[in-house]
Amino acid sequence: MSVLNLKDITKKYGELAAVDGISLDMERGKVLSLLGPSGCGKTTTLRIIAGFTSPDTGTVEIAGKDVGHLRPYERNVGLLFQDYALFPHMTVAENVAYGMRHRGTPTSEITTRVLRMLSLVQLTGMEARRPHQLSGGQQQRVALARALAIDPQILLLDEPLSALDAKLRLELRLELKEILRSVGATTIVVTHDQEEALTLGDEVVVMNAGKIAQRGTPTQIYEAPADKFVAEFVGRSNWFHASKRSQSTDGLTSYVADDGLEIRTRASRPDSEGGVDLCVRPEDIELVDGTAPESAPSPEHNVLAGVVLDVAPLGADVHVVIELPGKSRLLAIRKNVGRGSEILPGQSVRALFSASDVLVFQR
Amino acid sequence: MKSGGSQVLPHLPEAAANAPIVKSAQKRIVGARVRAVKSQVLLLLPAVAVFVLFLGLPMLTVLNESFRTFEPGRIGSVEGAPLTIENYAELFLPVYMRYFSQTYFLAFCASLIAVLIAFPIAYFIARYASSTMRKAAMTLLIGLTFLSALVRVYALQLAFGSVGIFAPIMSALGVNMNGSLYINCVIVVGLLHYSIPMSILILIGAVQQLNPRLTEAAQSLGASALSSHLTVTIPLCIRGLVSAFLVSMTLGISAFIIPWILGRGRVMFISNLIYSRFSEITNYPSGAAISIVMMALSLLLIFIMSRLFTLLDRT
Repeated sequence: MSVLNLKDITKKYGELAAVDGISLDMERGKVLSLLGPSGCGKTTTLRIIAGFTSPDTGTVEIAGKDVGHLRPYERNVGLLFQDYALFPHMTVAENVAYGMRHRGTPTSEITTRVLRMLSLVQLTGMEARRPHQLSGGQQQRVALARALAIDPQILLLDEPLSALDAKLRLELRLELKEILRSVGATTIVVTHDQEEALTLGDEVVVMNAGKIAQRGTPTQIYEAPADKFVAEFVGRSNWFHASKRSQSTDGLTSYVADDGLEIRTRASRPDSEGGVDLCVRPEDIELVDGTAPESAPSPEHNVLAGVVLDVAPLGADVHVVIELPGKSRLLAIRKNVGRGSEILPGQSVRALFSASDVLVFQR
Repeated sequence: MKSGGSQVLPHLPEAAANAPIVKSAQKRIVGARVRAVKSQVLLLLPAVAVFVLFLGLPMLTVLNESFRTFEPGRIGSVEGAPLTIENYAELFLPVYMRYFSQTYFLAFCASLIAVLIAFPIAYFIARYASSTMRKAAMTLLIGLTFLSALVRVYALQLAFGSVGIFAPIMSALGVNMNGSLYINCVIVVGLLHYSIPMSILILIGAVQQLNPRLTEAAQSLGASALSSHLTVTIPLCIRGLVSAFLVSMTLGISAFIIPWILGRGRVMFISNLIYSRFSEITNYPSGAAISIVMMALSLLLIFIMSRLFTLLDRT
């Protein structure tokens, strides 16, 4: 049974539709990431579910009941704010107990539950501290414990990790995932950070301009993006614009890109007025020495010759930027395998990528 | 500046401090620090001079006057009049105590009502008003403070006085417009003229500093609108609430024209008493003593309020 069901939600601010006809349903115990750039309507959607914003049209159902007329405190929805919004005048224990106290939980039960929540988020012994005495990561965990303490039907996390620094964010991301899984909380994570969305979510909903662009598992979103926006927003990508298709043989379609490069692909779309956009993920590109005799591993492979413009070793990966004859640039990401395989700027290379790795989008 | 200088010095290693170059550097730092202190003194000098000359000295003469013996018929105390505490002692007579209790009680009522009325308005302006509306509200509030006290007082008198336009309605309702309860109420209303706009201005600042997410967090956790304000908004605005109350108190107890005209001689504030001592019966020593007691009481009030505030404030 679906815990949450949104039907045709629309919310306009003046002329601008922040949320434009969104329908969404969620199963119990799942984690759903709501991913999109700022201003795409993801936070508005969250506030509509929590009851802080009322939609212009559409219905919100929680556990099969229409909650449209219920105030935020009459719904059973946990909310974790971006800035945590811990009560500065209360101790950690009082913060966690706040929700239960206002929901009529017996005092004896509150005490034990506060302790259980704090041990869940690994803050045992911090009961008497004030929020300002805690680090950013600890504050985030208190906020999570506070939201979980009321045993919400749905837990909403608004950019839960964005206020933390990069290293802490990585640690807490995994910790957050474990906690959510162990509690089995039905969760919606709103984020603009794709890594966060792909790691935390069982499913990812990509939003653009108030609409749902695609819903799918993290793998589906990355490997089979529904449109150009999703492909561009999730992961890195190289783009070619082609206005004409040259030929199709053996299930392969060749396109001539605007800068004259010929690119073959397995995927094919019907021709359209504006031509097509071709996309290649940087990690699908293999680089070989440009001076070696040309030999494509298979007829399926595209081979583009170019000159290395820049090499950036970023830990496990090396980002290589290649300039192609038509002055367009190509980003290739290769594993940092160590000495002997360095590529230097100025070197001429050939970029190889399979036709089945080329995604085609209609304009 | 001062702390900056003292932080630089201990960082110099002992051995290096003996080297001539470092020593001269150290001298330069000390020199810079002395200069900084000098310029700080210079900055404060005009203010200190004004305070000592025009506030401190006159207050000392008032203090001196308050301990002098007064001979009726004279203007003020005579040169070299004997010292006495009679001027203070007589203030414990019930007739004087009444002036004090009346003043402080009415000012207290007005301040309490002002803060209670001002808080929701300030909350609305700070949270929900559009920027045009906020500007208009601020202009109106600040503009109100420019309105002459006499104008407000006579406006109230014309409306709610014994011959005011509301007089028929009041008498129809059976309100005795010459009763001291009614007069006290009108005085409180007069005080509200000042304390409400002032409290709103102070509280807008307090509410603006409050993170609106906190109230939302409380409500998402199950606290109703009312209890989320009682448990989160009010405790976190306590600083602003206390200062709004204190400013209203100050305006109230030092009010002069309001009780003078609206009190119709039946209700007098301490300020009116002081005025009559100085200018009507020219008993300067008594007027001075009342002034000193009033000042002491006000300081005591601020002390009590700030103690109360430290008890209430948990942030």
